[in-house]
Amino acid sequence: MLLRRIYQFLMIYLLGVLCLLVIKVAADLSDYVIPGIDALWLSVRDVGWRYVVDVLDTLRVAVIGQVLSIGMALFIGILGRQATWFGSFIKVAAYNVQAYPIVAIAPIIFILLGDGFVSRLLIAAMICYFPLLLSVVGIMSQPIPDVEHFYRQTGRMRWQLEVKIRSFENLSKLTTVIVGSATLAMAGTIVAEFIAASAGIGYSIRIALYQSDLAKILVALFMIGITLSIYQGILEWVGSAVKKVWAR
Amino acid sequence: MLLECHNIQFRYPGSETLLFHDLHLKFDTPGFHALFGPSGVGKSSLAKIISGHLVPEGGVVRFNGKGRPLYGYNLERLPGWSSVGRHLDRVTPGHHRALKEKLVSAFDLEAIMDQHFSQLSLGQQNRINLLRYLVQDFDALIMDESLANVDEKTRGHILLTIKTIFPDVLFLYISHNVVEVATFCRDIQVLRGTHKSPRVVKVQGRDCRSGADVDRQLLQNTMLEIMNAA
Amino acid sequence: MGILTGRKVLMALLCIGLWLTVVDIGPLSADQAVSYRLKWLINMSTVGDVYAEAQGLFASEGLTVALKPGGPERDAIRELELGHADFGVASADQVIHALAKGSPVVVLAQLFQANPLQWIYFKDRVQIDTPADFKGKTVGVTFGKNDEIIMRTLLARAGVPESGVRLYSVRLDYTPFFSGRADLWPVYINSQGVEIGQRLEAAGERIAFFNPEAHGVRFVANSVVTSERLKSERPELVERFLRALLAGWQSAVDPANTETALAAVRQYDRDTTLEVLRAQLEATRPLIQSPGGPAVGYIDIAAWEQTEAMMRQYGQIDRAVDVGRRLRKP
Repeated sequence: MLLRRIYQFLMIYLLGVLCLLVIKVAADLSDYVIPGIDALWLSVRDVGWRYVVDVLDTLRVAVIGQVLSIGMALFIGILGRQATWFGSFIKVAAYNVQAYPIVAIAPIIFILLGDGFVSRLLIAAMICYFPLLLSVVGIMSQPIPDVEHFYRQTGRMRWQLEVKIRSFENLSKLTTVIVGSATLAMAGTIVAEFIAASAGIGYSIRIALYQSDLAKILVALFMIGITLSIYQGILEWVGSAVKKVWAR
Repeated sequence: MLLECHNIQFRYPGSETLLFHDLHLKFDTPGFHALFGPSGVGKSSLAKIISGHLVPEGGVVRFNGKGRPLYGYNLERLPGWSSVGRHLDRVTPGHHRALKEKLVSAFDLEAIMDQHFSQLSLGQQNRINLLRYLVQDFDALIMDESLANVDEKTRGHILLTIKTIFPDVLFLYISHNVVEVATFCRDIQVLRGTHKSPRVVKVQGRDCRSGADVDRQLLQNTMLEIMNAA
Repeated sequence: MGILTGRKVLMALLCIGLWLTVVDIGPLSADQAVSYRLKWLINMSTVGDVYAEAQGLFASEGLTVALKPGGPERDAIRELELGHADFGVASADQVIHALAKGSPVVVLAQLFQANPLQWIYFKDRVQIDTPADFKGKTVGVTFGKNDEIIMRTLLARAGVPESGVRLYSVRLDYTPFFSGRADLWPVYINSQGVEIGQRLEAAGERIAFFNPEAHGVRFVANSVVTSERLKSERPELVERFLRALLAGWQSAVDPANTETALAAVRQYDRDTTLEVLRAQLEATRPLIQSPGGPAVGYIDIAAWEQTEAMMRQYGQIDRAVDVGRRLRKP
């Protein structure tokens, strides 16, 4: 699973670079527009290790942001799962908050909280929590009558048990959503860093853009892609391990 | 009177026609009774009205027992995160431990207690689901095709066991198997199509008990009576 | 056979798509339409460009010019090479970066004779007379951009070790400067400098600007660029464009044309008040042409060479590009 993700990413990345090189040769473009292999290699040598550190810093924020948003989505999803007034209020409030594009809110966050760790974390969490919330609300508000019936009949149903049943029955769906949200958490962190932070791979991409250095950006994209593939692979593995242990 | 449905009016949301119009039926004594009828006449709907899962537009359900009748059906599943044995332990009240062991043995389920529900055959799934209802405190249980996937011999054995162990409980058995219903049930309420009147016809079943032989002629007469009523 | 034909058609379509993407020949068609990519959004730093357009100076040279506003993700030099633009505005560091990577870009004119980048500070908080006064201060710089190079050069020349100054990463807002987390903050003297300066002075603050050029650090700013190919293949077109453009700039900074120049910018920049625009135009004039200084568009070769040397020194380019060879000879 993990290896498959890695080689699939490598294939896509190499294909992308190959396309760029074909365009470069076909249109006789300079390294300024599309860097050649040698320019790419030089950039790897110059900034490769620094970018590894940067991308790990970004991943650290993304992971914490994702964990926070999973917690937040579960909390709101569980509160909003019931077809009550309160449930519907929670859902509407959560959806409305998401209606504002995070990129538009981000500058306010940076002004209020500065350009450090907390702002990056908050933006990452905000970007990845909504799809999670939609899925969690969907899963949590959908009864599993064939399993829940007995507990309701016998007066044993508690909200914890209801959440447990619905989570277990939808574990594959939840795993897929969590794996997908990893991409959003990473993208959110990078966007935050790109806009205003002073650390992480998004910040490095910003500097590379200032310097019009596409080679560095391609190296950064590689680091982001490979890190994200590994992270997603690990999440998938954890998901299937949880399922195995839970269903044992 | 133990259970009575009085003047029940019911239609499904969005439907213009009534499924039940002034429906009456009652069961006076405990024992193994049946709701019989062709598909779509409303057996399961009536069972859900009796157990309180559906609320009728009019009429009343009277039950002279503890709480509401329980309602179990054949498609129910046990949660997948633990073995069926562990699940049974959790849902069996302390004072029914011995009963549980007895039923596990009678239902021939000892060998599968360590397995998960999804690993069982459909027949085993039916039996374990029924068993967990039987170990609850209840005065009435509706068994909606609860043994649909169990082979005939085992099914007969289980029904006789239930009748022996729970002589003072009201069972409403919903099944399409006319032989089984005629053989094991006492009062058979035959539900008929919406256009027929009366809507329900009561037929006396053979109410076969453990160790007693069935008079084949009488059984055939009962079966004919049921088929004619339907 | 059918499959082969399908493949051939697909390949042909792909090739045409690729060709249209990378080799845009539209702007150079018979109607003399050209496209001109600016460096930033239209504001007072583009006054000459919009003036030439609004006053029909391009039209009088037989040109229809599509003025395209720039932005942080726009790069005129890339667009020249890809054929999406015929002329553009780029800063000297962009030009030198591009040359270091083999881009066939040439500089036609230097719009800013003085770099508008300066550092604003509160007089009541710090006193900065020479670069040596930066010692112990927190100075805002945009890492990766030319203000970082300029500041590092200033510090090196003043003998201030990098450990002696705290460089603060500049991003979106001015809060770190206003709140005192940074003592100096980089601004463009003719745009943000005017706006913020006015606001702070209205609030009773005493502010000042530190100008690197006054201390010998000359880093060239916005210039007009085109591709080597266009310059050699269509010299008359380049001349006509340049003539109209520089005439526009010349007139725009002429105090006699103040109202016309303001109106030209205001057409695009509706968020800035007329009063601020007027002050910005005032601040822009000396950057374009100082009294007794060279003509509008003059290319200061020495300043370009110094810019290249600074970039080389701070590792922004890994080889000499001999930028003087890519500057248009008068």
